[in-house]
Amino acid sequence: MIPFLADIDPVFKVLAPRPADWLSILPEIAVAGLSLLCLLQAMFLPKALRFLIPNTARIGLVLVAFMALNDGPWTTVDEATSFAGLLRQNLPIAGVRMVFLLSALLTSFLAERFLQERDAAVADYHHVLLVVTAAFMLLVQSNHFVTFFLALETGAVGLYVLVGYLRRSEASLEAGVKYLVAGGLSSALLLMGIVLVYGALGSAGVADSLNFTQIGKALTAQSIAHTISPLTLTGIALILGGVAFKLGAFPFHAWIPDVYQGAPTPTTAFLGTASKAAGAFTLVLLATGPFAPIAVKLAPLFAVGAVLTLLVGNLGALATTEVKRTLALSGVSHAGFILAAVTAALVVPGATGFDYNAEQIVVIYLLAYVIGTFLTAITLVSLPAAEDHRRPQLALRGLLRRSPILASALGFGISSLAGIPPSIGFVAKLLVLALLVKAKLWWVLGAALIGVAISIHYYFSILREAVVRPTDADEELAPLDIPFGTRFLIGALTATSIIGGLFVLFGR
Amino acid sequence: MDTFPATLLAIAITAPILVGLILLAGRDLPRSFASGFAFGGFAIPAVLGPWLLVLWSSPSSSAQQFQSEGFWGFGFALNGLSAPLLAMTSLVGLAAGIKALTQEVESRNTYLGLILFMLGGTLGVFGTNHLVGFYFFHEFALIPTFILTLFWGGEGRRPAAMQMAIYLTAGAMASLAGILIAVDAAGVEYGAATFENVIQGLQNAPHIPAATGALVLFGLGTLASLFPFHSWAAPGYSAAPTPVSMLHAGALKKFGLYGIIVLGLSSLDITGGSLGTWFLWFALANVLLVGLICLAQRDLKQLLSWSSVAHMGPIFLGIWVCGVSGKADGLAAAIFLMVAHGLSCAALFLLANAVRARAGTYRLDELGGLATRTPILAALFIAATMASIGLPGFGNFWGEVGVFLALRAQPLWLQALVASTVVISAVYALRAVASTFFGPASEALEKRFASAPFGDLGWAERFATFVLLGASMTIGFVPSLVTKSFSTEVSKTTTFSQHNAKAPVKAAPAPPAKR
Repeated sequence: MIPFLADIDPVFKVLAPRPADWLSILPEIAVAGLSLLCLLQAMFLPKALRFLIPNTARIGLVLVAFMALNDGPWTTVDEATSFAGLLRQNLPIAGVRMVFLLSALLTSFLAERFLQERDAAVADYHHVLLVVTAAFMLLVQSNHFVTFFLALETGAVGLYVLVGYLRRSEASLEAGVKYLVAGGLSSALLLMGIVLVYGALGSAGVADSLNFTQIGKALTAQSIAHTISPLTLTGIALILGGVAFKLGAFPFHAWIPDVYQGAPTPTTAFLGTASKAAGAFTLVLLATGPFAPIAVKLAPLFAVGAVLTLLVGNLGALATTEVKRTLALSGVSHAGFILAAVTAALVVPGATGFDYNAEQIVVIYLLAYVIGTFLTAITLVSLPAAEDHRRPQLALRGLLRRSPILASALGFGISSLAGIPPSIGFVAKLLVLALLVKAKLWWVLGAALIGVAISIHYYFSILREAVVRPTDADEELAPLDIPFGTRFLIGALTATSIIGGLFVLFGR
Repeated sequence: MDTFPATLLAIAITAPILVGLILLAGRDLPRSFASGFAFGGFAIPAVLGPWLLVLWSSPSSSAQQFQSEGFWGFGFALNGLSAPLLAMTSLVGLAAGIKALTQEVESRNTYLGLILFMLGGTLGVFGTNHLVGFYFFHEFALIPTFILTLFWGGEGRRPAAMQMAIYLTAGAMASLAGILIAVDAAGVEYGAATFENVIQGLQNAPHIPAATGALVLFGLGTLASLFPFHSWAAPGYSAAPTPVSMLHAGALKKFGLYGIIVLGLSSLDITGGSLGTWFLWFALANVLLVGLICLAQRDLKQLLSWSSVAHMGPIFLGIWVCGVSGKADGLAAAIFLMVAHGLSCAALFLLANAVRARAGTYRLDELGGLATRTPILAALFIAATMASIGLPGFGNFWGEVGVFLALRAQPLWLQALVASTVVISAVYALRAVASTFFGPASEALEKRFASAPFGDLGWAERFATFVLLGASMTIGFVPSLVTKSFSTEVSKTTTFSQHNAKAPVKAAPAPPAKR
């Protein structure tokens, strides 16, 4: 059909995808294919061979990661668009893909045993997980609000499923409904914003007022002529609000504690890393792309958002002793760090810290956050718990004696999240702070430092329970047997954390 | 450049970390093997550190020596100031290691491994040339300290460890902000932020944000237990296992002072204006208020912990007076005191633990009369106390006397206040000696001795104490061993601080005279 249409209509000739377009998103296609493979295997494999399903997914993800890291048509050094301007590759694309792939891979490791213990389907989980991963990988390349919204919603719908995945757990279902309602609200905000921008710019004569490139050009012209309509600004504010919801930034963070706590822990880890990363990259994409011309107007908004997110997240996390809830709220403060980096990029375009620009620093920060989060999540998942959503600090008591390797995983995860050397988390925080100094954002810098100081209290409280020498009354604590796979994963993540951090700092 | 000392330096820093890694990974290694291995980890730096100090040749132009091309850019290097501190750290590390090896603890290999990590981090602090590495190594030592205190610590370890972690991180964060702002103001790329580059850049910087000096002073001051950010220190040292107290109070804490001198004094004008006034009053509070707190202590380890906070006072005052007067003698004395205090303070913690191992308590009112039962322990404890209060023959003497002499141009009331501390510290230290070793033994102690007779100090602990006190006496009699390395650096630093005070006076390096 398409060649025929292309013959009669020149518009289709322009729009019809070229082979190079498909090649540019080969990693995303491969991940989507993997997710279908999971379903096919579930249909045709006998029960005895079902264990192959998560393993296929993991091997596939590793292969895709290798592909994405190596040069090919799917990587680009310069800015390039594909699919007639619907997609664009301009972020440090290999790093961005790696955040999502790594997050999905680690979630798969966490999920298999977790789901089997709770008698839930492993194949379906992997299917949805991979769809969401592919959607997020596309999202950060979108250059048009149609692809943007489609990719975002595909990811969001998949996450609704993953959050409410444990159908027999009230907490999981409740979290799923909450996430659905809150997510629906944010989608509505986003859509409203898109429509306002579309209408306001479209009536100002922009040919395709959903295309990022054209929006950017139109805003540049209008900001020089001082003719930006309030409608456009309202639309942009709504769009940024919708994205801030994904990131979990103040004041769109209220859903985070309940949903993170109630969701199955592997989903929480995925939500906290991949979904947050999607929000972060989208924010970078929008702030440095179509909305860059009004950076002067956006910067104060972002700065205030960063300061409040840092303080609200950290102070909120102080008030709870449920580990998952603490980590959820600390995730809000990490969103504040990312916002701070974006603010620096808005105030001083092209600002660098340790020779990295803001986009690269956001990627490094998120990779560090993935490693820290999963090291902590491995510990939580490996600890037996009657109810997944109730994991008080006290449940960690005596961990150093019960299983030194789990305790060291927790220690490393927590110190990575808290930003203590030699972990990559320290390096990531250092880069953001350096960027803030370069941009002379003293208030944000102050909030970030105060935030870190506060965070030590709740992070080290978690660690304290695991480490403190148990008194004799606790002697019945049985040693934990940790399977080899988990040990290997802990070792690999710890090594990556240290070597990766040193490499980022000194490897160039 | 001669690469041989550079290699020695790199080995001294990496050896404890590598041995520590192996011990952490090999939790089930047989005891004798692990002990030998760990001893190697403690002994290698203890040989190399002093050796590097002896190898030090007075530099004419460049103060950096033994610079290695870097281990992933950390750029290990010594300057005249850090060379004696590194040597002191390595000796304290050896003594702490010997103490740890004699202890019977749960999960011994992990314990030893974490202490080696702490030692490696502390050596790294003094052995790196890069500001990020400097900060990195200090924080690197924080997690082992926290874990060691929580799992192997004594009474009150839960709140003490938390308090310590929060104070240290808050202080470290403030100093990190100060460091980053200073590097930015110096116009140096972060990747190239060596001490030399940053100090040079700050000399010529058109504008340094006003808060930089305060961030560096109070941030690093928190880590060095400057009043009023000192309250973490005494509980932290008290609750920690003895080797950790020795390393932390003796060596790691000097990180803050070293940073204040190298970065703050040399180029951030921390002694000028109202900041300088605050600095003076806080340092005086360290001397006087904390001294009075020491008088009120009834627990031997608490007393030592508090007194190690109080002893920071003269060091701060030495730094302050150097900045104010632009003369080098105050700073030289402060650095000398940093080295000497590390040695004497570690020796006291070591011996106090030996007292506790015998008497079963640190409470002064339950101790007494130990001198007749354990004469060698008593003799060494008295010697260490003499060192600590600054009697001639030990290194502390040159430091304390140097600070007082440097203050001679200051108002009389200030001199009087500072001099009164000599009395205060003598009172509490000698009273502790008296109630521990002399007088009648308490009933409980008599009973304890009757049921389980204890012997005098063991050979391992004797050796560890001899290392520390021997080093203190060596620099007490031959101070040039230490001063030769930092005299050039000190005169340079002083010039810088004069540069900032806009009062260029030619500084004469005036280290304490050779005896």
